[in-house]
Amino acid sequence: MGIAQTVINVPDCSVVVITYNDARRLPRAVRSVLGQSLRNVEAVVVDDASTDDTERVARALAEQDPRVRYVRRERNSGGCGAPRNAGVAAARAPYVMFLDSDDRLTRHACKSLLEEIERTGADFVTGQISRYYEGSRRSRRYYPELFARRRTVEGIAAEPGMFLDSFATNKLYRIDLLRRVPFREDLHFEDHVFSAELYCAARRFAVVPWTVYLWHRARARAAPTSISLRYAELDNARQRIRAARLSDEALRRHGHDQLLPERHHRFLRQDLRVYLNTLPARDPVWIAEFTTLARPYLAEIDPAVLDRLDPVARVCCSLILQGRARELAVAARSLNGPQAPPRTAVRRDGRTYWGTVPSPEMDITALRMAELPFTASRLRHEAALAVRGTRLALAVRTYDPFGVLAAHPGWTAALRLGPHRVRLTPREQPDGSLLSEAALDLAALRPGGRLGFDGHCEPKVVVTRPDGRSTSDVLLVDPAAEPVRLAVPGHRVTVRAEGAAGVLRVAWRRQGVLRRASRLAELKARAVRRLSGPRLKLRVYKGLIKVLPPRPDLALFESDVGAGYTGNPRYVHEELRRRGAPIRAVWSVARNRRNFPPGVPLVRRMSWRYVWTMARAGYWVDSHGLPLDYPKPPRTRYLQTWHGQGIKSIGFNSPDLRADFPGPRARWRAAVARWDALVAPSAEFERIFVPSNEYTGPVLRYGSPRCDVLVHGDPAAAERVRDRLELPPDRRVLLYAPTYRDQAKFSGASVRADLEEMAGALAGEWVVVLRPHPVERYRVPAHLRYFVRNAASYPEINDLMLASDALLTDYSSVMCDYAVTGKPMLFLIDDWDEYRRVERGVYHDLPAIAPGPCLATTGELICALRDLDAVSASFAAKYAAFRELWCADEKGEASARVVEDFFGLAPPAGRPRPAVPARPPVRAAVLGWLR
Amino acid sequence: MSGPAGRSPARSTRRAGGGGRPAHTVVFACLDADTLGGVQRVTHTVAQGLAERGHDVHVIGLHRAARPFRYVERPAYHRHVVHRTPAGPLSRLGRRRERRRLAALLDRLGPGFAVLSSPSVVTRIRALIPRHLLAIGQYHGSYRHARGSWHLRAVSGHYGRLEKAVFVSEDDAWSFSEHARLPNTWSIPNPLPSWPSRTSDLTARRVLGIGRLEGVKRFDRLISAFALACGAGEPPGRAGGRARGDPPGSGPPGDGAGGWELHLIGEGAEEERLRAHARACGVADRVVFRGAVPAAEMAREYLGGSVLGLSSEHEGLPLVVAEAASYGVPAVAFDVSGGVRSLVSDRETGLLVPPADVDAFAAALAELMSPADGGDAAERRRRLGAAARVRAEAFRPERVLDRWEELFEHVIR
Repeated sequence: MGIAQTVINVPDCSVVVITYNDARRLPRAVRSVLGQSLRNVEAVVVDDASTDDTERVARALAEQDPRVRYVRRERNSGGCGAPRNAGVAAARAPYVMFLDSDDRLTRHACKSLLEEIERTGADFVTGQISRYYEGSRRSRRYYPELFARRRTVEGIAAEPGMFLDSFATNKLYRIDLLRRVPFREDLHFEDHVFSAELYCAARRFAVVPWTVYLWHRARARAAPTSISLRYAELDNARQRIRAARLSDEALRRHGHDQLLPERHHRFLRQDLRVYLNTLPARDPVWIAEFTTLARPYLAEIDPAVLDRLDPVARVCCSLILQGRARELAVAARSLNGPQAPPRTAVRRDGRTYWGTVPSPEMDITALRMAELPFTASRLRHEAALAVRGTRLALAVRTYDPFGVLAAHPGWTAALRLGPHRVRLTPREQPDGSLLSEAALDLAALRPGGRLGFDGHCEPKVVVTRPDGRSTSDVLLVDPAAEPVRLAVPGHRVTVRAEGAAGVLRVAWRRQGVLRRASRLAELKARAVRRLSGPRLKLRVYKGLIKVLPPRPDLALFESDVGAGYTGNPRYVHEELRRRGAPIRAVWSVARNRRNFPPGVPLVRRMSWRYVWTMARAGYWVDSHGLPLDYPKPPRTRYLQTWHGQGIKSIGFNSPDLRADFPGPRARWRAAVARWDALVAPSAEFERIFVPSNEYTGPVLRYGSPRCDVLVHGDPAAAERVRDRLELPPDRRVLLYAPTYRDQAKFSGASVRADLEEMAGALAGEWVVVLRPHPVERYRVPAHLRYFVRNAASYPEINDLMLASDALLTDYSSVMCDYAVTGKPMLFLIDDWDEYRRVERGVYHDLPAIAPGPCLATTGELICALRDLDAVSASFAAKYAAFRELWCADEKGEASARVVEDFFGLAPPAGRPRPAVPARPPVRAAVLGWLR
Repeated sequence: MSGPAGRSPARSTRRAGGGGRPAHTVVFACLDADTLGGVQRVTHTVAQGLAERGHDVHVIGLHRAARPFRYVERPAYHRHVVHRTPAGPLSRLGRRRERRRLAALLDRLGPGFAVLSSPSVVTRIRALIPRHLLAIGQYHGSYRHARGSWHLRAVSGHYGRLEKAVFVSEDDAWSFSEHARLPNTWSIPNPLPSWPSRTSDLTARRVLGIGRLEGVKRFDRLISAFALACGAGEPPGRAGGRARGDPPGSGPPGDGAGGWELHLIGEGAEEERLRAHARACGVADRVVFRGAVPAAEMAREYLGGSVLGLSSEHEGLPLVVAEAASYGVPAVAFDVSGGVRSLVSDRETGLLVPPADVDAFAAALAELMSPADGGDAAERRRRLGAAARVRAEAFRPERVLDRWEELFEHVIR
């Protein structure tokens, strides 16, 4: 059949679009049906007796396209069940989907689900549903983990977790199934009961991971406050609980009693949560009524199901069960946003409990809030706010449930709003809380300077202890409070409670002249961006180096593409300074990087000034690769210090350069040709690295400049690290430094140890300092911060090595540096086969040469750490061999020798100049490439 | 016209030949349609086949090839080039020119389909395809290759908005549907250029390695494995090769591999390195570098081969395996993609080994050369080769063209 004949005979799929008084959005929904890639569809618009323009709009749509049919119900049903049943009765296709008139189907929804149901023979197919935020025009997948795998499920008993997907809309059904399982017409939340029945009735269903349904969320509106709405919401909760009971009955009727706990879990995670989230904005009467309402149903639920919830939600359920409505409002506020700590807590036998009584159902130990280091510690600040004119007056009540303030006498407190601070003088109250007042004149604040500011910030209470370290938390205000808008010079300011928890937020929007000026500034910035694109910079650079001679007294230093003042370049630079060499060193710094010591001249990487410095500098010193496309000026000398040695494949053997396009290889070849000297830490490095990069120039083999300090030691380093990372003095320090995975950079996938399991077993004795690779991103979960310190931004990894008691890594080159220290090493290499063969490729068989145990599970790791001394003793011989292989040249004078050799400086009296300054590289006959 | 017919892109006309299926306009767009390469070969083969079936076929190269290659002697389709320059970044003016020329060209064509052959073409001209041409995106690489480069982002970001996203194997289509969440995947294998009537008798003691001598083909691994299979001893640089879990005794089978040669057919930048590697492995006299062989003479090579070795780091759908199979030659291959798996089922139509596991590759080669268990290698080759030829039937041009026409029907369903 050609597509010209898609004028309907029998459609492949009927989409039932239900609508009620939604003339404005109905066309959008219907268009999403008519625009389906499955052309042979019909849209059955079922109008639940609208009183607005819906009928005219729908009839017009049917007029324009014969695939649209209009069904009007005589009386409004007040729900979705009756119109959906009417739609199914009218549908002509063998397959049906449901769509609400305020939502949309994605373009391939019908065809892709249709194909899947034909392929799998399932009773229905369910696909990812996504929330679409109309304000930001972004969508977010809803419960993506349910849909992650494309699969066929043989009945709900095989995957009871799918109860969490109880929408009627994101599915394509066989119509006979819908005729067997109609929607109930006598209640709200008929889809909950429907989906319970559906899951019971379907012997097989299929799941697809792509988004098929866009659930539109309109711009946020003010919270409902009117009396009728309040009661409507209470009735809504009553209906929801009724639907839950009916769903339970359906399960029992079908003999699925064993699935009830999963259904209840769904109720707690989804249904109950809807009301708990908005509870802080309700008045006490409502909360009390809701508690009375929910209590009997919760009492039917097995406490073991409650225990699966996260601790604060568990506390909320306990409070409902005990009818403690007032405390429920306080607890519900900690569910979202900053997840504020409780007002009060008790600790008993190492466990932490919400409130004042240590009872098991109030146990919140798993949050580990009471054991955090000072800078991460948690206080609860509840504020009452008043605005008079442009003055913002705050009365802040501070709760310190874990005794943080008492443990640090001499602390001071301040209210911080952007760069502004107001001193607070808290007074102790009879109930143990602290009360302080602050006033801010918003007109006096000038965020953004002369050009003004568009954006927002959240005021925080900052508590500073006498040694200068501080901790801060946001302020909670009444989430039901109306936003306050006021005018200050050049801006309109909005003070509001943000989110369900009611975090105090102040937002600025430029007005008047500033608004126009900011547009001008944007235009200018855009013009500047266009004029300083990378292509133009490179052209200018190439012109510059033709005419400008390099200055022999200027050197450009760069470490890890501008990430910091560290690595080999740092120690070469320091040696130059120590020698008083007549060379001015300028350091390259990437955007948003700090941690450079004062007094070091900086230039932002890839800025115009950087281009100029590259052209002028007589020396380039770096550890990764200066911008690859930039040719080196003829007389500039380039010292490539590289940044590590080890087992990983490198250069032309690395995955980046192994793909099936030649461009990157040619680029890297040209970049390597710029090097005038290469720092080689060991003979083994030279054997592998030099041919792998097809490097042919001189090699400086005196060890690694960055390892000198590891050879000599630095007694202050441990102190620095312990202080900055707040490591408890009685814990041993495990440095965990995994390398990245080439196929999953910036994903956190390289942190493969189960930190939770480690915390459970080791937190009493160890603390983990986590140092992810620079091309990796990992956020330590809040409940593990008592045990794991993220040292990603700590400026110098040498300090971490010196301060630690053992190293845990996988394939990182850090193992070769760490071997200099002689301290124990452990290797978690669960993905070794994948890594060595496919993911990366290696030159050495790590299990064969590793100077410590190679472990495949966190359990093994815990055992090894518990018995570390014996384990490391058993590896003494392999450790020595490993050091011999990689560290034989580390004598602690690499910086001096490299500087003397490369910059031609005389050695200090007492040490002869090296006999062979720069040796031609040893060329392994053929390396045999990597295996 | 209003309604669905007004939106319908392909005002189909019945073909003169009376084949039953309607004829469409089919546009293929490549970055450079006339450069020597796998994607281009497939495009021209399919274009010619569809044109011979009565479709109105156009092949567009966005850029002129630096060294144009003629794939089809007497093309039954139309060819167009947008820019006279070789592929590279476009100036603002160039982009405007592209927009204008494509509009002028595409607007005068009848309703049908526009097949965009790679992520770079899709990202560049997807928005320029007029509504009467339904856009279909092709991706010739494997999911694994895409995951390691910018392709995955391009495919997952753009292909879902096309009518269909076409991959070279069902496995790859599945991976993209699951991990890139594409709702519109489809798979069509690449076609063989022809179907031979004769098959190899599999008696010559010759292993074939066919492809450009470039790093991605990893002929070094093929040479290492071949050396191991011949029993020439451990090749150098093997430090990281063996690891825990490798089967013991997967080493060389000792003698009995006498007279076997490895013929590498193709040319490229790696030749010197590969020669040195063969010397270092002690098989310099058994590895024959044959240079490039014209397509017309490849039949003789396949007929003279007994085993094909596929050692690539990445492959989409390796047509050399299909071609060898069509001559009844079985393959030993690294399991690097769904495309490879669609051709080689382990122990049915060839031998499949884990990616980069050279020892396993060597053991598999040895099984087909002179097995350690004393089995009949020639008999094994014949059994696998015959099954491989049956499997390769799915890659016969007419089957692949049927699949394309099926796709067109499906798009307008």
